[in-house]
Amino acid sequence: MTGELLQRVGGLLAEAGTIATIATIDEHGAPQSVPTPFLQLDEAGRLVHLELLETSSTHRNLLGSIWFDRPVSVTLSGRNDEVLVISGRVYKALVSGLRFSRFYRKVRSQLGDADLAAVWLIEPLKIHDETYQVRKAQEETFHPFYFHLDRLVIHRDSI
Amino acid sequence: MSYALLKRSLITDLDTVAARYPDVPRLIILKTDVQRRGVFYADAALELLDETLHQTTGTHIFGARDGKTAVRPESLLLRDGTSIITTPTPLEEDPYVVDVLDGDAWLFDNGTPVEPVDYWPAPAYYAKKSRSGVPMKHIVSARPQRLNIFPYRYCTFWNNAKGCAFCDIVVQLKKGRDLLNIPAKLDPVEVGEVIGEALKEQGRFSTIFLTSGSITSGERPFDDEVDYFIALLKEVGKNFRTHKYPSQMIGTAFEKEQLKRLYDKTGLTSYTSDLEVLDEGLFNRYCPGKREWIGYKEWKRRLVDAVDVFGYGRVNTGLVAGIELAGPHGFQSEDLALERTLSEAEDLARQGVSTVFIVWSPRPDTPLGKYKNASLDYYIRLARGLHQLRIKYRLPIDHDSYRNCGNHPDTDLSRILPLWESEL
Repeated sequence: MTGELLQRVGGLLAEAGTIATIATIDEHGAPQSVPTPFLQLDEAGRLVHLELLETSSTHRNLLGSIWFDRPVSVTLSGRNDEVLVISGRVYKALVSGLRFSRFYRKVRSQLGDADLAAVWLIEPLKIHDETYQVRKAQEETFHPFYFHLDRLVIHRDSI
Repeated sequence: MSYALLKRSLITDLDTVAARYPDVPRLIILKTDVQRRGVFYADAALELLDETLHQTTGTHIFGARDGKTAVRPESLLLRDGTSIITTPTPLEEDPYVVDVLDGDAWLFDNGTPVEPVDYWPAPAYYAKKSRSGVPMKHIVSARPQRLNIFPYRYCTFWNNAKGCAFCDIVVQLKKGRDLLNIPAKLDPVEVGEVIGEALKEQGRFSTIFLTSGSITSGERPFDDEVDYFIALLKEVGKNFRTHKYPSQMIGTAFEKEQLKRLYDKTGLTSYTSDLEVLDEGLFNRYCPGKREWIGYKEWKRRLVDAVDVFGYGRVNTGLVAGIELAGPHGFQSEDLALERTLSEAEDLARQGVSTVFIVWSPRPDTPLGKYKNASLDYYIRLARGLHQLRIKYRLPIDHDSYRNCGNHPDTDLSRILPLWESEL
């Protein structure tokens, strides 16, 4: 996937204040969302999620996703209220090799005695701009029947 | 055009089988089928091989299905981190073909691209030599996350021609010695040093693994094997700050006192002893050395004893799945073989012993080498059955998992075993 939205994903991830969460579903379809503090975009345009624990629910759900083609989504919330939601499919889990080792060292350099179970690569399929001001403007333009009327009332005392 | 694409067809046997088992991941069915049928590396796939980046064949205790010792990828990784441990196989035997598609290695089935694969990455220590001048990879070999020690490449069951009927360890010993200068018996101190060198690579290895041929000698039978393992594990343990470290040993079925010695004196944390086939008659026929020295029922009893020593979920036995159906003495149907195998596996599971299988790879230099292994359906049903037993008896299999071994389709399924600790 290329384009302006993907560039904005990269931009948001490069900003220090951005909060990233990853949402997965389990075998019963129950969703779970957790922070993904090491999230980044790789050179091929894939999201890179680092999973520290082999037995975490997210790790097991991601495995279920690559096994049974279940979708995942990632939400980025920027400092300036910018919100992007990326839905995608799990492409690959790296468990060994030079690239894995680089991420392993990175995790340990930041967290101390931590481990790394897998480096998950997620292929973005669709990116939604869920920034409130953007969505508000879209809704007011395309769905003008969803206003509370009091928002349109003329306030006489302000005239 | 590549060799693989010349033969292209649209629907693969894999798809047909996968449709019958929607609860089993297609990637695990693929792994199982590749292990069942073997692989053939097209020239273009071999051109992708870079010995500075990838592991190559030649270090293993057992031989290849095509009987050759040549530089080829050691094995393959799938997209979910699953290892496919397989051997090069002649084209006439209908293996999967590894060929190149858009610059990357892919598995092809009858000309159809099935999945991209990675060659196992070479660890850093593979380029180095040990103190005795032997390439370190011939002292300690590697899997994606495991260090393999094959300290003794002989099995004394062969002394009176009673080795297992599927095993080519002695033939491979000779090839390793003659072609690769691999020592038949390793020096524990040197092994410890090589392990230390391997562990300098951060984020690579999760477990230490040892296995060798059986050594019947000693004050009690197999005492020498136990003592040798203890010496090795002590040297390996010098690299760690904790007494215990993640480790697995496949050994003969030792007596309880021997097991206690192994556990108390070393960092070993799990124990595997392979019955190979879960039927007493076939065990006696195909594993005559094991029968002569221990016997089927006693082997099972010692496995159960080992649970007292190593703990629940830390003991298992391995099967060479498919030999139970081979030739005139095998089960006459896959249903019968499955029923018998799972019944025996359940008897072990209820006593705390897990069962895992490898897909039998008929090797040319073995008595059973002329027979074919079982159908893909059989292996999938067996994997599901063993996984279900682990669920039923709440048996973890972490020590023989996709990370710590990678050779068992059934433990690949067990990557998502329930987490019983969350109920505490």
